[in-house]
Amino acid sequence: MSSFVLQANSLTWRVNEKHILSDINLHIKAGETVAIVGPNGAGKTSLLKCLYGEYSNFLGDIYLNGKSLKTFNIKDIAKKIAVVSQHSESAFNLTVLDIVAMGLIPHKGLFDTNTDVDRHNIEQALTKVDLINKKNQIFSTLSGGEQQRVLIARAIVQAPDILIMDEPTNHLDMYYQHQILMLAKTLNITLLITIHDLNLAAQYCDRIIMLNNGKLVADDTPEAVFTSSKLTEVFKLECAIDKNPFTQSTRITFSGINHCVNDESAWLHS
Amino acid sequence: MKKLSFKNSLLLISALVAFSLIASMGFGVVELGHKAVWQCITQTCEKSIYETILWEIRFPRVLLGFIAGFGLAIAGALMQNVTRNPLADPYLFGIVSGAGLGATLTQFLPTTVQVITLPIASFLGSLLAVGIILIVIYQNNWRRIEHLLLAGVAVSFLLSSLTSFILYSGEAFSTNRVIFWLMGSLARANSTALLWISPVIIVATIIAILLGRQLDALLLSDDSARTLGIKVEKLRIITLILCAAITAVIVSYCGGIGFIGLMIPHMVRPFVGITSSKLFIAAGLVGGCFLVWVDVIARTALGGQEIPIGVITSAMGSLFFLALLRKM
Repeated sequence: MSSFVLQANSLTWRVNEKHILSDINLHIKAGETVAIVGPNGAGKTSLLKCLYGEYSNFLGDIYLNGKSLKTFNIKDIAKKIAVVSQHSESAFNLTVLDIVAMGLIPHKGLFDTNTDVDRHNIEQALTKVDLINKKNQIFSTLSGGEQQRVLIARAIVQAPDILIMDEPTNHLDMYYQHQILMLAKTLNITLLITIHDLNLAAQYCDRIIMLNNGKLVADDTPEAVFTSSKLTEVFKLECAIDKNPFTQSTRITFSGINHCVNDESAWLHS
Repeated sequence: MKKLSFKNSLLLISALVAFSLIASMGFGVVELGHKAVWQCITQTCEKSIYETILWEIRFPRVLLGFIAGFGLAIAGALMQNVTRNPLADPYLFGIVSGAGLGATLTQFLPTTVQVITLPIASFLGSLLAVGIILIVIYQNNWRRIEHLLLAGVAVSFLLSSLTSFILYSGEAFSTNRVIFWLMGSLARANSTALLWISPVIIVATIIAILLGRQLDALLLSDDSARTLGIKVEKLRIITLILCAAITAVIVSYCGGIGFIGLMIPHMVRPFVGITSSKLFIAAGLVGGCFLVWVDVIARTALGGQEIPIGVITSAMGSLFFLALLRKM
């Protein structure tokens, strides 16, 4: 059996003949925390959607625990992969408990009811994310950080092997950005995260996969991927690399548009 | 105020159902009095005429009212949860307009068969409306939930305009008959109606409750539901067909009774929450009671003359709709 929990071989995904993802090869080991980074439109979310089965019309192969993803039905994928994505507001007043209980859905058949074990697991998950006191509150009234924690609690109840998070730190302040990533790390499962903040990626992830224009341009440790030349080539901005004085992880500082290395922003100065 | 548990809410609603079914039988053109009704239920009737009135006229009518209200409220709750739209209602999907067209077309048939064919024709008309919507949405790949709602509104107007044209150019007596039928009534209550409607409502309710957990997954977003292993498009088609079957079978016998599907789910959500199975059960029971009492108003408010039930539900429903919009 393959030692990789998730693997993509020559993954290509096209929409109306336009290549969104081209010839992606990647291998994720059990327990790794991997960040997928890249500029807007690089194909990060599309790659995630292929990996968790939302898009199935791709070329190439994806393997989940050594088995082709195409042999799994959507419910079996949900038992192995949980997804925390950017959510839209519901028109109805869902409570925290309603949302966390959704984590049971992949494990339940039509005639199954919730058992005491299920209720215990839900309570445990809410305790883990420190929201047990807010279990009856309306989801939409919580802060952005709390809403992300509710979705992580749902993922805990889903009991997956892999947790995929699509830009989990968007719209959160500094404190909550760190809190969410720390919380995800404490779950001790394989994590695959798309993220715009490269410093957070360097601090919390074992490995960085960098995409640009739908192609994989780097796949290595943060120190190896986040080099000045590579980042300037992908993000079109000059940058300086040093160490975070608190964590000793790689720290990236980008120049402003004034030091832009291509012509795309020339109109800003005209 | 402390929120009631689902079990306690259900107990309270069940008591309301029992009270409504029994108490409503005392009202009508002939005043039986509640004492006489209670005596008929627990022992034997004081007079044999009471027995006829109660068991052959009132009881089927009250039961039909309850079942129709139950079905319409569940169909509304299904539509609202599956579209994540608090203003969705089975009537938005052209089901009544389809039934109206079917009923209107029966005037071209010989008078002797019209009584039998009217429910069947309106049922077929409802299915036609849902069929058109499904074809449009299927070809559109179910890309956005708004398309489903827009297709429903468009089909509703299309079929209504056809009906209006036929009624305009038709013969006055038939036109009156169809218009009165479109306003809704439980006067058609008999064992055939109950035998035709009840199994559909019971089966559809059981399926809806079994699908409750999957429907809950849709409440956040389609993408979120897919990541929980739900086949969103398939679930939506099944739900739409369930709603169509429930509404079509009710409309075919009772005519147009609007707004129950819109109103009742909103009335019960504060008490039982929004998760599907609990909502369906509570909405169904409250919807049943609601229609039973509206029918009491319909048959007693104007003395000997009956008010079409759809007139009352529409008046109450539209005011409720406006109040709801103010709150949103």
